[in-house]
Amino acid sequence: MTKASGQRQTRGISRRRMLQLLSAAAPAVLLRPRGAAAQIGGAQPTAKPAPAGELKNPAELTGPKVKASSPTTLSFWQYVGFHVDVQKFIAEEYKRRHDPNLSLEITAYPGLNEQRVGVKSALAAQSPTPDIIAVEPGAYAVDVSTSGSVLDFTKVFAEDPEYKRGFWPNALELLTINGKIWSVPAVTNTVIVYYNRGIFKQHGLEVPETLDDLKKIGATLNGKGVIPVAYPAGQDRNFPLFPYYTYLGGTRADKLMREADLGLKPWTSPELVAGAEFVDMMARSGLYAKGPLGVKEQDAIQLLATGKSAMFWGGQWMRRSIRAALPPGFDLGLFPFPAVAAGGHKPVLSSVGITLTVNARSKHPDLAFEMIKAITGAWGKIEYTRNLGLSPNGPISAEAIAYQMQSLKDPLYPEFLKLQPTGTTRVIFTPSIEEAMTQGMQAIITGQKTPKAVMESVEAVSQKLGARKFRTG
Amino acid sequence: MRHRWRRHATGLAFTAPALVILAAFLLYPIGYSLWLSLHEWDGYTPRWGAFVGLENYRTLAGDEVFWKATLNSIVFVVVRTPLEVAVGFLLAILLNRRLAARSLLRTLFFVPVVMSLIVVTLIFQRVYEPNTGLLNTLLHGIGLGAWAHAWLGDPVTALPAVIAVSVWKNVGFSLVILLAGLQSLPQDVLDAARVDGAGAWQLILRVITPLMRPILALTALLSIIGGLKVFDLIFIMTRGGPTYSTEVLATMLYREAFEQNHMGVASAIAVILVTLVLSIARLQALVLRESKEAGAA
Repeated sequence: MTKASGQRQTRGISRRRMLQLLSAAAPAVLLRPRGAAAQIGGAQPTAKPAPAGELKNPAELTGPKVKASSPTTLSFWQYVGFHVDVQKFIAEEYKRRHDPNLSLEITAYPGLNEQRVGVKSALAAQSPTPDIIAVEPGAYAVDVSTSGSVLDFTKVFAEDPEYKRGFWPNALELLTINGKIWSVPAVTNTVIVYYNRGIFKQHGLEVPETLDDLKKIGATLNGKGVIPVAYPAGQDRNFPLFPYYTYLGGTRADKLMREADLGLKPWTSPELVAGAEFVDMMARSGLYAKGPLGVKEQDAIQLLATGKSAMFWGGQWMRRSIRAALPPGFDLGLFPFPAVAAGGHKPVLSSVGITLTVNARSKHPDLAFEMIKAITGAWGKIEYTRNLGLSPNGPISAEAIAYQMQSLKDPLYPEFLKLQPTGTTRVIFTPSIEEAMTQGMQAIITGQKTPKAVMESVEAVSQKLGARKFRTG
Repeated sequence: MRHRWRRHATGLAFTAPALVILAAFLLYPIGYSLWLSLHEWDGYTPRWGAFVGLENYRTLAGDEVFWKATLNSIVFVVVRTPLEVAVGFLLAILLNRRLAARSLLRTLFFVPVVMSLIVVTLIFQRVYEPNTGLLNTLLHGIGLGAWAHAWLGDPVTALPAVIAVSVWKNVGFSLVILLAGLQSLPQDVLDAARVDGAGAWQLILRVITPLMRPILALTALLSIIGGLKVFDLIFIMTRGGPTYSTEVLATMLYREAFEQNHMGVASAIAVILVTLVLSIARLQALVLRESKEAGAA
């Protein structure tokens, strides 16, 4: 989305509506110390009511330490098509304000797999292209960092500590491999439950606080012929794992999972097997739409949009697709997955979104780092998330949120900002383990294997791998 | 002698450009894959890693997913090819007759062939969707709701569901080849059979089918090779899942190479796949030659 189109959207919001939105954003400001381990996010400040007149981005797009001496084009390969416009916008602003010689050429692959294949081929060929690479946290980040294919941010952060402080510490922790930070996040995001407020109201239902509440809601909705939860487990290799991560986040066993991922603890420990049992219970609870492994994102969104299902368990990044599918007047709400254990907290699966790093063979590494700083720095992060409605990579000021709400029509944005501080991570770093977990969870959902058998097979894979060549965090 | 050499040299000169292209884009990659299959490599470094001999092949031999993928590839071919050829042949015979709207029907049957695979897979994902998909809605509509199913989400039905899409997409191609074959059959032989009192079925089974044997064999060969190489359809629809129930050799190759970083193992799969395809092509050629020689005798 361009700045111009953002301004067009602003005219669509009345001042009264703006105030309503901002008051909804107020609870997002629970000031907390920077998040505990295995969490992404932290405290967001209070959004102040917008003053009369148009607000401006309160942060400054700071000048670079290095500039291009002649016309230079940096290449950037990424895998999220809907991020292209905002990345272009920031790069053009950077060029206009600070470095007229520097351009950014963005190649958006249709998906992560395609981009990963392209990047892998380029790195194996020792190609200086692309200069900037988008990587996913977890196995992909481990691959490019341990192979020496990308540069780390040690020098950049040493020269500009303020830039480092701009990120949620736990987001950077997730991108720290063998003691170095290899990439920085453009955004953070969460996995939550979207729901149809109209259906809830119609059947006298309240947002569930506990798993038992959710089951009761499921029984009521099933009785009324409404599918409780549309869960697109067939979307990709990550979705079958979300219930597992959710349980571990809700029982604070996610740190244990990280240790098991690194081969330091067994996958057969009772806490981790309990996660698989939760997956099994959910698959047989009658909560999901039929055949979750045959349901893709668009199918699940259609179920929600047409009122056939009351809830949709999905990611923050799906918000735009969901909004686009909803009929006018659809009252969309969201809530974190309810507490899975008695007295436990509500797990919100958070992770860093697209993360950026620099090719070790790049002919312009310093310029590439400067471009990344522009995209992910104080000014860039506000523009980035203002345009996409995703959560920023670090705390932003109340003025910044007010500025963003001028153009973001969606009242769910402040709701997402509220959820970030409670997030738990959802990343597995070891490729073989990730594969074994994905297949294992599919086997549980289809009833082919017991939870215990699945975790034993994951442990067998882990033991076969032996000591990992990397450490995280 | 000198004259013969000159003739060979001229021939070589004319074929050299094609040979160079063939060597660069076919022989070299096959040779390189064979070489890689004997090495360990994660695909990130410019050179392959340690020589491991046949270790990658041994790893595959002990990997139950590999055997499952091999079996799925065979099932895919064994089910798809006869369906594709038989349905294509029947349609070709039907469309070779004087029918109303014959041209329109020919075009309609060929439309899936030219449709983008992405579009086809997206359509069929919606058709197979378990809750609101066309197939289940239809089954409920005609009182067969008990048969409604999570077609792509169930390991038992996922592979047949994908094969059905493949047949739907490719049957038009077989139809066109076979129709061209039918139209090139000697009319006097067909007329003679009719004069001798052959009925429609006798004509098809005893005259047309034997005459069409080489074309049928060619269609089958193309279908077999296409079936063994199938990747995109499965990758987009199911990614080889659930629980490897639709994993075939090509999707396993991709997963090993680009998700698991086992380039050596992936190359070993590629070598096995190429060997399989070449063997089938060779076998088919031998069978065809034998039948031709028998016919001539």
